[in-house]
Amino acid sequence: MPQPQLPRRWVHPALLAMVAVIATSGLVYELVTGTLASYVLGDSVTQFSLVIGLYLFAMGIGSYLSKFLEDRLLERFVEIELCLALAGGLSAPLLFKVYTAAAAFRFALYGVVVLVGTLVGLEIPLLIRLLQFSVDLKELVARVLTLDYVGALIASLLFPSLLLPKLGVHQTSLFFGLLNAAVAMLATFLFPLDRAVTIRLRAQCLLIFGVLAAVFGFVTRFVDRAETVYFGAPILYTAQSPYQRVVITRSPRTTRLFLNGNLQFSSDDEQRYHEVLVHPAVAALGRDPRSVLVLGGGDGLAARELLRYPSIERIVLIDLDAAVTDAFRTLPVALELNGGALNDPRVTVRNEDAYKFLEDSRDSFDLAIVDFPDPSNYAVGKLYTDAFYHLLRERLSFRGVAVVQATSPQYARESFWTIVQTLESAGWKTAPLHVYVPSFGDWGFVLAGGEELAAPGALRIEPTKLRWLESSGLPELFRFPRDIGRVEAPVNRLNDQKLVATYAREWGVFTR
Amino acid sequence: MDRRAFLTTVAAGWMVDTILPGKAPIAGRIIGASHGVGHLVRDGGAPTPSGPPDRADVVIVGAGIAGLSAAWRLAPAGLDVRVLELEQFLGGTSTWGDDGAAPHPWGAHYLAAPNPEARAALRLLEQMGVVKGWDAAGRPRFDPRVLCHAPQERIFYRGAWHPGLVPQDELDAHDRAEMERFSRFEDELTERVGADGKPVFQIPLAFSSRDPDTLALDRISMRAWLDREGYTSPFLRWYVRYACLDDFGAEPEEVSAWAALHYFAGRKLKTPELDGSHFLVWPEGNGKLVQALSERARATVTHGALVTGLVAIEGGRVEVRWLDVRDRAPRRTHARAVVVAAPAFVTRRLFPSAAARLPTRTSSPWIVANMHVERPIDPDMAWDSVLYDAAGLGYVDARHQLTELSARTVLTYYRAYGGPDVVGARKGLVVAPWEQIANDVLRDLAPAHPELREQITRMDVCVWGHAMPRPRPGFLGEQPFEPLVLLDERVAWAHADQPGMALFEESQASGVRAAEALAPALGIALGSTWL
Ligand SMILES: Cc1cc2nc3c(=O)[nH]c(=O)nc-3n(C[C@H](O)[C@H](O)[C@H](O)COP(=O)(O)OP(=O)(O)OC[C@H]3O[C@@H](n4cnc5c(N)ncnc54)[C@H](O)[C@@H]3O)c2cc1C
Repeated sequence: MPQPQLPRRWVHPALLAMVAVIATSGLVYELVTGTLASYVLGDSVTQFSLVIGLYLFAMGIGSYLSKFLEDRLLERFVEIELCLALAGGLSAPLLFKVYTAAAAFRFALYGVVVLVGTLVGLEIPLLIRLLQFSVDLKELVARVLTLDYVGALIASLLFPSLLLPKLGVHQTSLFFGLLNAAVAMLATFLFPLDRAVTIRLRAQCLLIFGVLAAVFGFVTRFVDRAETVYFGAPILYTAQSPYQRVVITRSPRTTRLFLNGNLQFSSDDEQRYHEVLVHPAVAALGRDPRSVLVLGGGDGLAARELLRYPSIERIVLIDLDAAVTDAFRTLPVALELNGGALNDPRVTVRNEDAYKFLEDSRDSFDLAIVDFPDPSNYAVGKLYTDAFYHLLRERLSFRGVAVVQATSPQYARESFWTIVQTLESAGWKTAPLHVYVPSFGDWGFVLAGGEELAAPGALRIEPTKLRWLESSGLPELFRFPRDIGRVEAPVNRLNDQKLVATYAREWGVFTR
Repeated sequence: MDRRAFLTTVAAGWMVDTILPGKAPIAGRIIGASHGVGHLVRDGGAPTPSGPPDRADVVIVGAGIAGLSAAWRLAPAGLDVRVLELEQFLGGTSTWGDDGAAPHPWGAHYLAAPNPEARAALRLLEQMGVVKGWDAAGRPRFDPRVLCHAPQERIFYRGAWHPGLVPQDELDAHDRAEMERFSRFEDELTERVGADGKPVFQIPLAFSSRDPDTLALDRISMRAWLDREGYTSPFLRWYVRYACLDDFGAEPEEVSAWAALHYFAGRKLKTPELDGSHFLVWPEGNGKLVQALSERARATVTHGALVTGLVAIEGGRVEVRWLDVRDRAPRRTHARAVVVAAPAFVTRRLFPSAAARLPTRTSSPWIVANMHVERPIDPDMAWDSVLYDAAGLGYVDARHQLTELSARTVLTYYRAYGGPDVVGARKGLVVAPWEQIANDVLRDLAPAHPELREQITRMDVCVWGHAMPRPRPGFLGEQPFEPLVLLDERVAWAHADQPGMALFEESQASGVRAAEALAPALGIALGSTWL
C-alpha cells in the first residue's frame, strides 16, 4: 500500500509553528511536573533535577522507539500528538488527585514524566522523517531543531513569569493540552490523508479537546482555593519538614507564609495581627517585662514586636519546626519582615515540642505569647487543653500575663469561646480581644492572668513605634458585638479534645 | 467478610509476600516466657536441694501484679520479704520493654479508671500522683495527662479508617439498631442493682451482687446469650467478639455471659473529666504500675528462680524449693509465710495437698509483637487501632501519651487464640519460628498497612503460652466470690486465676488479700484492710 506522503518542496509555515508548539508544550509539562514535585515532595533541587533527567532520558527512549514506526507516519504523528495532549494536559490535575488520594504520588509523577517525555521524543524524529523528502536534510534538521530550542526558550520564559502566576499549574497544563489537540486538528487539515482516516482523527481530536476543556472548566471552579493561592503567587521557598510543609510565596507587594496549606500571615496586614498579639499583653502586665516566653511564632514577627521594649532582656522562643525558624533566620525576604529578630542576642530559639518544654522547664517568665497554628488536628489540639494551660501557669512569674491566639470568633465562634472556657477552667482570669485582619477576617486572642486581670487602658509603648495600634483603639479590641459574643462552650480536655471537632465543623463550612 | 474486604486482604497479603521480598529483611526475635524451664516443674525434673537454706520472713512466688501487690501490702510491716521470680523481668503478663523510641508494653496496656470499690488500685494511683485529689462526691480526680489522649481509638472498616471503635456512619440500619439496643442495655445494666442491694457487676468482681438471677448468666456462654436475646447483626456480633477476645482472650462461645456482660457494665465511675477516655495509659502500659508497686514494695527480687515445691517444716516454717535457672542448681529458702502468686496450674504442682481445692482454669495463649517503626507523622493518630474482622486485635502506639511528635515509635500488636483448642494453639505457637509469626502479623495488618514492612526496623515477638484465665461458663463456681486464699495456715494464694478474670484490679486485690490473710501467721498487725 502506498504511503501518503507530503508533497515535494512543501514546507508549510503552519507546520513549523507546530514544531514550536510541540517543543514549548513539552518543556511546559516538564516544568509543571517539576514544580508539583518540588512542592509536594519538598527539596526542589533534587526534584527538578530528577524530573529534568528523567524527561530527557524518556525523550531518548521516544527517539529510539520512533524507528519502529514504519507505516502511516502522518496518521501516527497526529495520534501521538493527541496522546501528548491527553497525557500532558491532564498531568497536573491527575497528579493532584493522586497526591490527595494516596501515597502513590511518586510513581504517578515519574510515570507521567516518562510518558510525556517519550511522546515528545517520538515527535521530532517523526516530523523530520515526514519532511525528509520535501527539503534537503541539512536545511530540515537546522530548521526543526532551531524551532525546537526556541520553543524551549519560550516555555522557560513564559512559565515563571506568566503561566504559573496567572494560570496556575492546573490551567497551564490543561491549556497546553488543548494547544496540542489543536495542533493535531490542524494537522488533519494540512496532511493528505484518506477521507475515512481524516474523519476518525478529527473525531478523536474533538473528543480529547472536549475532555480537556471540561476538566479545565471544572478545575477553574473547584480547585481548592488555598492551592490556587499557592500558585497564584510564585513560590519563593518550600521545605518539607517531618511536621509540615512550609511554603513562602512572594508577589511584587506581598509575602505570605503557609503551613500545610494554611495561611499564617500575609505581609500586607500582619502588623495588625502581631501588634494586637503582643502590645495589649504587655500593657496588661502593668510593669516593664524582662523575660518573655514565645510558644510557636517561629516566623519571628511576635519577637520583632517584643524587641521594641528596651526592658526585655530575654526571649525564649519555642517552635517545633526548625524548617520554619531556619527560614526566618536566613532568607532575605524573612529578615526584611522580622528585622532579624531571631538572630538578636536577646532571643534564644529552641526547636522542641512546647508541651514537653513546659513539662521540663523550671524557668519563669513575665509574659507568655502563645501563637500556635489553629487546632486543626489532635497533635496541635493538645496545646489548647486545660492540662497545657495548667503547665503554662507554672511558668509565669507573679502577676505574669499570657496571651493566646485563639482562631476567629467570627468563623469559629464556639472554638474561640472553648479556648476561653478552657483557660478559665485551668484557673486563669481572662480578657478576650479581637481585631479585624483583612487576610484572615475577624481574629481573636485571649489575655490571661493568674491573678486579677483588667483590660488595659493604655499601651506601654510610644504609638509612633507601631504601625497600626494606638491606645485609643484599645477599648474597641475588647468589645465583642453580639454576633461573636460569648456562647456556652465545653472545656477542651486531653482525653476528649472537643475543640478539634468543633473547629473542623465550624471552619468546614467556610472552606468547603 | 464481604467480597471487597476479602479481595483487599488477598491482594495485600500477596503484596507482602511477593513484592517485598527484595527488601532487606526486618530484624527481630522471640522473647519472653521461658516455656522450657517452666516445664521442669511439670515434668518433675527438679532435683531435691541440699546445702544450707536461706531464711526470710516471707517468700513470694512470682513477681506479677499479684505477687508485687502482696509485697507492697507488706511493706509497712518492715519484714524481710523475698520475691522469687522465674523470668529475668518484673511484672509477669504486665511487663514492658525499654528499648527503642519509647517504652512499650509486652502485655497489659491500660487500666480503666478504677471504681471507688477498687480501693487498693486507687491507693496506689494516689501514691503515684495519678489521682490528684477527690471531688465533693468522693470520686477520684485524675491527672489529665495520664488519661488516654484523644483520639483514643479508630477502626479500619471497609477499606478506610474511622474514628472510634464503632463506625457509626458506615453501619447499615440493622447494625445500627442493634448497636443502639445493646448500648441502652449496657447503660441499664451498669446502673442495675441486685436484690441484695449491690450492683450486679462490680470490680473487683467479689463485690458484685449475689442475686441468683444475674448469677444465672454464668451458666451460659456469651454466644448463647446473644442468640437468646436475638442479636443477629454482624457488626454487633463482631463487636462483642472483639470485647471477649480483648479482655479474656476467648471467643464468645468460650466466655461466660456473666463475664462478658461484666466487661460492658462493670465500670461505674462517671465524672466530667472522664467524658472522653476513661483509660489510664502510659507508654509502657501497665508496666508503669509494676514499677510503682515494686518501688514501694521493699522486697528483694531474685530473678531466674523457678520455684519447684513447698514443704511444711518444723518450727512453723515453710521450705521453698527452687532452681537457679542459670546453673540449674537446686536451692531452698525457709520462710515464716509464703504467698504463691502464680497461676492455678503451677500452684497445684507446688502444693499438691491443695490441688483439689484450687479452681481449674483454661488459659488462652496470646502473642504480642512489638514493631519498631519509622514513618511519616500523623497528627491525628489514635492510641488504639483496630481492624474490623482481622485475626488480631490491632495495635497500640507507645508514643501516644508522649506529647512530643516523632516519626519513630513502637506499635504493640495483640492477638489472642480464643478457640476451644488451647493446647493445640499453644503447641503451634511455641514451635513457630519468628519468621512465621512476623509474617502472620504483617499479613493481618496488610489491608490497612500494605506499606508496613518497609516502615518496620525491628519486630520482636512474645509468645504467652498461659496468658490469662478464660472465664468460661461456670467459672464463678459453686460458691461465687468466696475465693480460696489460704492454702494452709502459712501459705496463701494470689493470682488472676483466683477470680478467674485477668484485670489489674483483680490481681492486685488478690495479692493484697493474700498478704492480709497471712498477718496472724506472721504475728503482725497490718492495720485496717486496703481492700
Ligand atoms: C497480652 C495481655 C494483655 C493484657 N492486657 C491487660 C490490660 O490491658 N489491662 C489489664 O488490667 N489486664 C490485662 N491483662 C491481664 C494481666 O494478665 C493482669 O492484669 C495481670 O498482669 C495478671 O497478674 P498476675 O500477677 O495475676 O499473674 P501473672 O502475670 O501470670 O504473674 C505470675 C508471675 O509468676 C511467675 N511464676 C510462675 N510460675 C513460677 C514459678 N514456678 N516460680 C517462680 N515464678 C513463677 C511468672 O513468671 C509471673 O511473673 C493482659 C494480659 C495479657 C497476657
